[in-house]
Amino acid sequence: MQFGVFTIGDVTPDPTTGRKPTEHERILSMMTIAEHAEQLGLEVFATGEHHNPPFVPSSPTTMLGYLAGRTKNIILSTSTTLITTNDPVKIAEDYAMLQHLAGGRVDLMMGRGNTGPVYPWFGKDIRQGIPLAIENYHLLRRLWRERVVDWKGEFRTPLRGYTSTPMPLDDVPPFVWHGSIRSPEIAEQAAFYGDGFFHNNIFWDKGHVAQMVDFYRQRFEHYGHGRADQAFVGLGGQVFMRRNSQDAVREFRPYFDNAPVYGHGPSLEEYTAMTPLTVGTPEQVIEKYLSYADVVGDYQRQLFLMDHAGLSLKVVLEQMDLLAEEVVPVLRREFDARRPAHVPSDPPTHASLVAQGPGSKHRLVQPATLPEDREAADADAATERSETTTSEELA
Amino acid sequence: MTRRLAVVSSGVGTPSSTRLLADRLTEAVHSQVGARGEDVHVDVIEVRELAAALATMTTAAGLPVPEVTRAQDIVRHADGVIAVTPVFSASYAGLFKIFWDVFGPDDLDGIPMLIGATAGTPRHSLVLDHAIRPLFTYFRMTVVPTGVFAATEDFGAGAGGEQLNRRIVRAAGELAALMVTTSDAVEGFVPTGRTTRAQRGDGFDVTSITPFTRLLAGHDGNHSD
Repeated sequence: MQFGVFTIGDVTPDPTTGRKPTEHERILSMMTIAEHAEQLGLEVFATGEHHNPPFVPSSPTTMLGYLAGRTKNIILSTSTTLITTNDPVKIAEDYAMLQHLAGGRVDLMMGRGNTGPVYPWFGKDIRQGIPLAIENYHLLRRLWRERVVDWKGEFRTPLRGYTSTPMPLDDVPPFVWHGSIRSPEIAEQAAFYGDGFFHNNIFWDKGHVAQMVDFYRQRFEHYGHGRADQAFVGLGGQVFMRRNSQDAVREFRPYFDNAPVYGHGPSLEEYTAMTPLTVGTPEQVIEKYLSYADVVGDYQRQLFLMDHAGLSLKVVLEQMDLLAEEVVPVLRREFDARRPAHVPSDPPTHASLVAQGPGSKHRLVQPATLPEDREAADADAATERSETTTSEELA
Repeated sequence: MTRRLAVVSSGVGTPSSTRLLADRLTEAVHSQVGARGEDVHVDVIEVRELAAALATMTTAAGLPVPEVTRAQDIVRHADGVIAVTPVFSASYAGLFKIFWDVFGPDDLDGIPMLIGATAGTPRHSLVLDHAIRPLFTYFRMTVVPTGVFAATEDFGAGAGGEQLNRRIVRAAGELAALMVTTSDAVEGFVPTGRTTRAQRGDGFDVTSITPFTRLLAGHDGNHSD
């Protein structure tokens, strides 16, 4: 099971002091948070990508490249990489370069982005979000897996005899997650390729999360990647902890009320009742998050949003200490205890994908098989066997 | 066969003249469907009871609030809908609109519906056709020709009351006729272009999902020149 932190990189004034960090301060604080996550033994740091205020992380591979040089163990990921408005050719190159520099400690999460005006700034149309996600990702897969790519699609200028450089480290493309909250098409996409599915459920109730993840699991099995309960699932979450539950609520409330993604809508209480947001003691956090394995099944990655809404760096680092020292070990133990042997505890890593060898399905552009294809293949194999037997008998 | 009737009443008081009109329409539809040999199951949604939950859902980018999603399911799976609103500031009540705002554009496709409105004065009667009917046309619902408008004076015994009764009966007959109609096309043979009741609101029904190979078609980079 991988635990980690993900940031959206908002620059928000601290509502208790009114002080707003500069963009420079905020960027450096995100780097400190990532390095702290590594020191605490968390497995993943993921950064968002935004191209509009109040957010700063417009250039994830620059940030993650810096972190690749400053860290040894932590997996560097994204939450999310915009597969709609970015050029897939540039994604292929940037993240392959990052993967080399990080020694393979890279995976990435694809997302569409939900801010309408950002699309036209990059020459795209949000109403084409799903087709863009499908076409661009398929091109990305080809660029990472085929030496020479000829491509003509709907959205991008055609490629003739294009070779992406560098090719992925060890010829093993990074593992990819697809993030979606409510589009079954994206869950379907993740299932088709046998990729991971990340449900950033920080705004969503359990019933809905369960429906989306269950759908992905069924389709993962449908496309021949294993059993439904073996699919790779990640979830989001947000917590704020103090020894005493009332202290946590009192301290966090002004941040919640003014947060760019939460504030001025439903109350803290409504959010904590319906979503993974937990404001209270570490024990309350453990109790809430353990219940998610009942909701979505045994899953492989849990990311927490910690540095949001103007919380000071000092408080964020304290929160991470509590998370890593008191919450994660218990969750890890309990999740391990309940997970059946045939369900993977971790999603694929660079090392595990290299170990699968050059014949692994991960290296195929289209790794899916349909039930009818599998039956046909079984029938062929059976015919071949009987023919062999016949020829042996004749001999 | 039991038909499902969803009644959406967005009066703000108790007792509410809007609810009173909704109840009279419901009773009329009940007996008209009954007269066609069918039974009716009625679910009444009082929008005022959902007011806070609707505000929560609207300000949280659609976070599904259980009380609201229950109400949505009732409407999506109805064979017929009665919707009644008071008239505020020359249009439907804001509370009425916020309820319909939580539905997606395809959620209500083809559901037969009867619209009603109440107001203090008969001069608001056109609100049915200039404000309320277009809203449900947007949702591609089948709104029956007769809308039922009741001004305060129509609840009395005079000529207004007589006419209101007649309109209620006529509108209820129109809705009932649509509620008991069954499609005469064999399913799958004729493209109806309409969502069936079974499909509405079941976004995660695996049988209605577009397979990825179809989503990918035309996007696999093999376009010819």
